[in-house]
Amino acid sequence: MDAALQLDGVTKRYGGFTAVNDLSFSARRGKILGFLGPNGAGKTSTIRMVLGLVEPTAGKIDVLGAADARAVRSRIGFLPEERGLYRRMTPIDAIAFLGSLKGLPAKEGRKRGMAMLEAQGLGDAAKRQIRHLSKGMAQKVQLISAIVHEPELVILDEPFSGLDPVNQQALESVIRGLAERGATVIFSTHVMQHAERLCDHVVLLARGRKVFDGSVAQARGHAPRALVLEGALSEADVAGLPGVASVMMATAEDGHPHYTAALAKGAAGQDALKAAFARNLDVSRFELKEPTLHDAFITLTGGEG
Amino acid sequence: MSRLLKIAAREYVAYVKTVGFWLSMLLMPVIGGAAISAPTLLDRSAPPPTVAVIDQTGQGYGQAVIDSLKAVHGGKPEATVVDVPLDGRPAPEVIRKRLTDEGAGERLTAAVIIHGAGEAVSIDFWSNNLLDRSLEQSISGAVTDEMRDRRLASLGVDTQALDAVQALKPKVASFSARSAGGGEVGMRDRLPGIVGFGAAFLLWSMILTGAGILLNSVIEEKSNRVLEVLLASASSAEIMFGKILGVAGVTLTVLSVWASVGGTLLVVTQPALAADIGAVLLGKGLVFYFAFYLIGGYLLYAAIFIAVGAFCETTREAQTLLGPVMALLTIPIIFMTQAIRHPDAPILEILSWIPPFTPFLMTARAAGEPPLWEVIGTGALMLATVGVVVWLSGRAFRAGALSTGKIDLKGLIAKIRGAEA
Repeated sequence: MDAALQLDGVTKRYGGFTAVNDLSFSARRGKILGFLGPNGAGKTSTIRMVLGLVEPTAGKIDVLGAADARAVRSRIGFLPEERGLYRRMTPIDAIAFLGSLKGLPAKEGRKRGMAMLEAQGLGDAAKRQIRHLSKGMAQKVQLISAIVHEPELVILDEPFSGLDPVNQQALESVIRGLAERGATVIFSTHVMQHAERLCDHVVLLARGRKVFDGSVAQARGHAPRALVLEGALSEADVAGLPGVASVMMATAEDGHPHYTAALAKGAAGQDALKAAFARNLDVSRFELKEPTLHDAFITLTGGEG
Repeated sequence: MSRLLKIAAREYVAYVKTVGFWLSMLLMPVIGGAAISAPTLLDRSAPPPTVAVIDQTGQGYGQAVIDSLKAVHGGKPEATVVDVPLDGRPAPEVIRKRLTDEGAGERLTAAVIIHGAGEAVSIDFWSNNLLDRSLEQSISGAVTDEMRDRRLASLGVDTQALDAVQALKPKVASFSARSAGGGEVGMRDRLPGIVGFGAAFLLWSMILTGAGILLNSVIEEKSNRVLEVLLASASSAEIMFGKILGVAGVTLTVLSVWASVGGTLLVVTQPALAADIGAVLLGKGLVFYFAFYLIGGYLLYAAIFIAVGAFCETTREAQTLLGPVMALLTIPIIFMTQAIRHPDAPILEILSWIPPFTPFLMTARAAGEPPLWEVIGTGALMLATVGVVVWLSGRAFRAGALSTGKIDLKGLIAKIRGAEA
């Protein structure tokens, strides 16, 4: 089976509230899957079902070939959204302990943990109590604890939250490294830039329902391309260009109007450029802007979140 | 090593390697010893009270009081008697001043004015200590003795002969078919009741301490968000029983250290008593009762406390939910003391069948050798209850570990009913 994870019609209800509704998707082995959605979309509930922490109300989940993740928990690494470690333990003890719960011998856990701490610049902090570490340092320790046993499937719930840009970049490298090693990585986030840079595949969730499942490029395809125009133009000039579906106006730094025109699906940007020249419009800047994953996210979720 | 044992080992080490654990364990016997010896030490270290005796009867009762107060008990007189000249002023006025004003001479602790005529003697006792009546009673006793001696003398009764008469009493010996020798009852026969009460009280303390440690441990893990990490690595049952086992290890370490230290001290200082206590613990099977009820009681309360802890992020939240349990735990303490004298009292027999009380009351009653059917029946009921409580607590722990926000008792029950399998 090529999928490390397969969800089929999974639903989770808490009383009258449906947190996840008829969700199906799969994560291919050795790939990075971004599990995206605004806050409250049902990402954490889905992750908890995948891990076997809560049972789905309906539907089936297959994790590494098992119907219940608890049977294969030693092959899974998990970083929860709300981080937590024993504050009075040292990082190396915490890593060895949590690794040992996943079947990694304590001695090997300490050896690997030390190497990973040093790789993350935390070698000096290995024997300091966690309560004395900064939040960023503690988050790195927790990530190492989640992957020290070299799991086949790594699930990271909002791994970038609370990290500064430098540590975010370092984490991106770690995630890429995991995939290069052959692990399947699933991470949830509502920050699209990380997903855009890292993911082979994204699943987008809104109000508990899947609204997109595919590659980043396919996701971008759901958002309209845009033209950026500046110059001595009126809004009517821009709206009259071929393929323009809507126009938003702002004022540029030089005082000239700045237009962002959304193109209709299938419309070519060059046609609008040709028309602008043909109509002798005073255009000082013309840019065809490809949509980002963020644009796709806004479009697909209807601006929610 | 299984995950359960790894969790237990971590829990054990987390407590045992703290300085606070060893300090509190070593300090506890010291504090216990101090509590026992404090009244004697206080009594010995305090200087004798300074007392003035003013006799206005003219019949010499004052001298009897002075002789009584100067009598040496335990190496020191009961009081230091000082003379207070009245210089024509009213006695109460002078005494009031001397009790409060140090400038007027040596400050008095107490003063007594004896007045009246014939046998209509009155004693006015003045003191700054309103609560301690021992000195007042001693003075009253001295005057009473003197008055009685005088009356007896006037009646022609020899006081020494009267003392001899009053000293007459039969020699009483207690016999019981249950005594060790099958006849006369000695200290060794009464010891089981005392040891049983001690064991029950120790059991109560250990269970409450162990359950309390567990509660704090789970609250810490819940508030630090460690529980979710653990749940992704081990089953809720492994976490729950791992923690219960780890804290049981901590409690047993404390018990072992205290038993070793206490036992050694007893053997060195009171070898006969040590031998008797040893005989009671082993001969009467108290050790086995203790072990059985320690396991049952600890599991029962540990499971409840750990489940409640899983819903709480602060000790205050836990206190609200555990209020009824704590109130319940005071009941056995009230009745355990009665078990020394009346181990077969009907109320104790009835309460012994209530599983939350069984461990404590049956341990306290064990020395009275309750009927076997009662031991087996209450034990079986307790074990069945432990099974149900542990099962329910397992569900609650699982539901609570992933829950967020505050919860009340009603919400707790709803969570248990709707918990994931």
